[in-house]
Amino acid sequence: MSDVNSADAAFSAGTATAAAEPPTGGDGASGLPAAGEKPRSLRGDAWRDLRGNPIFLVSAALIAIMVVMAAFPGWFTTRPVGKADLSLSRQPPSSDGWFGYDLQGYDIYTRTIYGARASILVGVLSTLGTMAVGVVAGVTAGFAGGWVDAVVSRLTDVFFAIPILLGAILVLSSFPSDVETPELVIILKVVAALVILGWTGVTRIMRSSVIQVKQADFVQAARALGASPVRIIVKHVLPNSIQPVIVVSTINLGGFIGAEATLSFLGIGLQPPVVSWGIAINDASQYLRVSPHMLLFPSFFLSITVLAFIMLGDAVRDALDPKLR
Amino acid sequence: MGPSAESVLEVRDLVKHFPLTQGIVFQRQVGAVKAVDGVSFDLHKGETLGVVGESGCGKSTLAKLLMVLERPTAGQVKFKGQDIYSLKGKAFKAMRRNIQIVFQDPYSSLNPRMTVGDIVGEPFDIHPEVAPRKDRRRKVQELLEVVGLSPEHINRYPHQFSGGQRQRIGIARGLALRPEVIICDEPVSALDVSVQAQVINLFESLQSEFDLSYMFIAHDLSVVRHISDRVAVMYLGKIVEIGDESQIYGAPSHPYTQALLSAVPIPDPAQRASKAQIVLQGDVPSPANPPSGCRFRTRCWKVQDICSSEEPLLTIRPGISHPSACHFAEQTQIVETLTPEDVALPPAAATQDGLTQDLA
Amino acid sequence: MTLLDTSKPGSPEPWGTPLLDVDNLHVEFRTRDGIARAVNGVSYSLREGETLAVLGESGSGKSVTAQAIMGILDTPPGYVTQGAVRFRGEDLLAMSESQRRGYRGTNIAMIFQDALSSLNPVFSVGWQIAEMFRVHKGMGKKAAMAKAVELMELVNIPAARERVRDYPHQFSGGMRQRIMIAMAIALDPDVLIADEPTTALDVTVQAQIMQLLKELQRERNMGLILITHDLGVVADVADRIAVMYAGRIVESADVHDIYARPAHPYTEGLLASIPRVDMKGQELSAIKGLPPNLMSVPPGCPFNPRCPYVQDICREKEPQPPYQVDASHTSACHFWKEVRDGSFR
Repeated sequence: MSDVNSADAAFSAGTATAAAEPPTGGDGASGLPAAGEKPRSLRGDAWRDLRGNPIFLVSAALIAIMVVMAAFPGWFTTRPVGKADLSLSRQPPSSDGWFGYDLQGYDIYTRTIYGARASILVGVLSTLGTMAVGVVAGVTAGFAGGWVDAVVSRLTDVFFAIPILLGAILVLSSFPSDVETPELVIILKVVAALVILGWTGVTRIMRSSVIQVKQADFVQAARALGASPVRIIVKHVLPNSIQPVIVVSTINLGGFIGAEATLSFLGIGLQPPVVSWGIAINDASQYLRVSPHMLLFPSFFLSITVLAFIMLGDAVRDALDPKLR
Repeated sequence: MGPSAESVLEVRDLVKHFPLTQGIVFQRQVGAVKAVDGVSFDLHKGETLGVVGESGCGKSTLAKLLMVLERPTAGQVKFKGQDIYSLKGKAFKAMRRNIQIVFQDPYSSLNPRMTVGDIVGEPFDIHPEVAPRKDRRRKVQELLEVVGLSPEHINRYPHQFSGGQRQRIGIARGLALRPEVIICDEPVSALDVSVQAQVINLFESLQSEFDLSYMFIAHDLSVVRHISDRVAVMYLGKIVEIGDESQIYGAPSHPYTQALLSAVPIPDPAQRASKAQIVLQGDVPSPANPPSGCRFRTRCWKVQDICSSEEPLLTIRPGISHPSACHFAEQTQIVETLTPEDVALPPAAATQDGLTQDLA
Repeated sequence: MTLLDTSKPGSPEPWGTPLLDVDNLHVEFRTRDGIARAVNGVSYSLREGETLAVLGESGSGKSVTAQAIMGILDTPPGYVTQGAVRFRGEDLLAMSESQRRGYRGTNIAMIFQDALSSLNPVFSVGWQIAEMFRVHKGMGKKAAMAKAVELMELVNIPAARERVRDYPHQFSGGMRQRIMIAMAIALDPDVLIADEPTTALDVTVQAQIMQLLKELQRERNMGLILITHDLGVVADVADRIAVMYAGRIVESADVHDIYARPAHPYTEGLLASIPRVDMKGQELSAIKGLPPNLMSVPPGCPFNPRCPYVQDICREKEPQPPYQVDASHTSACHFWKEVRDGSFR
């Protein structure tokens, strides 16, 4: 989660560029817009940039594979996920079980494929949750200002001060799950814990971004025309301030998947019957010396997915930041 | 179309103090920035009132007050007799149609994520009673044409235009609701020299076409002289001198106006030797803590004891043709007023016709 | 009240030996969208004690030329592709970076438009001025600080001794520009390049700063390159003027000559398009159109799409090298004679 903290500082500076134009290059290069070219939006420019960026292409492809795996695990394996054969316990990889078998005799390949779903669900839902809370709180604080801003900002500081793991342990142990709890409820509990502790970063970025955009002349012009606050927020402030949040959230997504694995590893995140990479890593940790393959495959998938999201976030930031052009 | 004596805006004793506070949760006021401190003037129908002054003199805050982007600490502004700060709800929104603004920065004044059509059409979205929905696209195209842009550019984004063109887009947006007053806040100072004249000429032609009254705020005294019928000079939140263009430029009476005028470089090296220059010492004091009495006294060469004890009011003084806020006001010619005929001008009117004749 | 007398006789070569010689300089920016040719064969020279004003709009290449002279061009995307910059006969562009560093500050110094962002906010101004002496002259801390106070007094900062430990944000815009000037002249450079030094300042402060620059120049016999778009400032202080357009010098001449009898339609258009504080009732005749995109400058004369006098030859043949109007006056216009004597009017 330290991504969020460090990114905060970087992006409060970066927001200016989100609102501002690509620099016209003063006395220098980029000069004036060429007449007669077809309309090109800023977003279109960013997209053109992304399509030519190998880092974006690789990470997007990896993420696409993971998402398909999460949605349709049956396309990748024919074995049922719940089938265990104790006689195969801790068998190393072979032509029969490509990734080997775990302690209970589950096929690790099948478990890894099925594990993508929980990990990606937690990542995506936590990201959407933090974005929703963070954008609303950040816009409220930044746009209203005054005491509203003071209250929201102090509240942000309080939550920001809680270490995410400690906080998550606190939240999750207050609402314990057992074997009877449905799979989705367990996942949602973990998501809730991550959102409660993770919204502050997005809020801070959104707030500083909104404050910057709010002062722009085009917002003043809309006010001078008599536009309502809702119109100003929706038409002028949000579209010009959301970019840094999108970038940071993409990076955060990887972080949330990692955090889920950590929580599951500690035994308080996802729990059986849910199948997840974190749980698999937890199970494997005691047999690291004798059966390293149990750890290797789920960790590898986890790392690749986290890395893919962070790289995607980086690529998106570069594309959206007109200063780098 | 010349200006008439009918006032569209009456500004009376307008004051805006920005409180300086300390503390985060429990804020207490420790002082105030006196950005605008008792300003009164009238804007007549069809005229251009220039407002000049250096940074920090309060001219931009004055613009924001007239646009009701800020609420005043005290004072009133009447638009055709109606106090604009007392209006609420629908009546207030309707009043906004009458006063519009053109900003300085052509880059930050247009939303980069909206097309030109959406930007110029936004006034109609906010005030749907002005134009029926089906007419809007046509109206936007008309507006673009009026300000000298091609109507085909309606689907382009602001970053595809140059500074001067963007300023035209901002002017089109300001014109959309057919306002009677346009506040121009440094509208040409961010533009290149060769483009400035195009935009100044546009302002002038729009004024006669739509019978507009301008309040033209600028720091460039040459531009203000060119476009204004009357001029107000501001210093540290107050008007120190106000009068007709010919009075302010031809016979300035306040020492600050005189210093300001003498500092403006004249684009004619032949006048170098003959030109006297008053170079003021020091900087403008902070508006949070202005000097007592006359605010200009810390930089003035005429300063006497009375200047720190008694504030000079903006009134007509003996021997002065127009209101001046100086105890020792004295009309002095600082710059000669030339007419185009006096100067062996480079061919200002180098028209295409002249060209074809010569070559024929 | 002070009288600012800057008039000097206008004969072509009273200024002593050549100091800086820019010869056929080309700079291009290689960007994602293509190559922008920002400077296309600019040549000018500067003598001791002379003020050369480089006049141009944004995109004319006036600042890029200065950056290339100083060796502070952003590379990439900017590249010097051709030409020479000779300081007292030595080609700076042919030198190694470490050799060039020896010239920067000590022989050629530069001040910028935005004094606030040119000063480091976390060090006191005294420390920043003193650093010049510590780094370049190896002075001790105390001696360097004393020098800093001296310089601040020289540029008329009141109470310099007390304010030497203040930080940049504690100074007003005009005072910050004075500090920048103090740093620039610290090592007694022979050439001072001032890039829009007063554009961000109020008119009364602008007058102070221009007066200061002029005085310092006279005392030290520096060559001053004043980069600006302001025709008024130029008329007040310059000895010679080079007018730039689309990366080319389109006209260069003695200041009195160029204002009285411009020989290029662009110069003429600029003079006719600015309002004057000493004049009322003149019609501003705007130059139509926009400066060209540097990625696709029109063939022939780059000014031809905006020129009121354009002829067929202007669209085909670029008037380079410029025509010699007289010994000290050049114009890159095929019809300079007609423009100059006004027979087009």
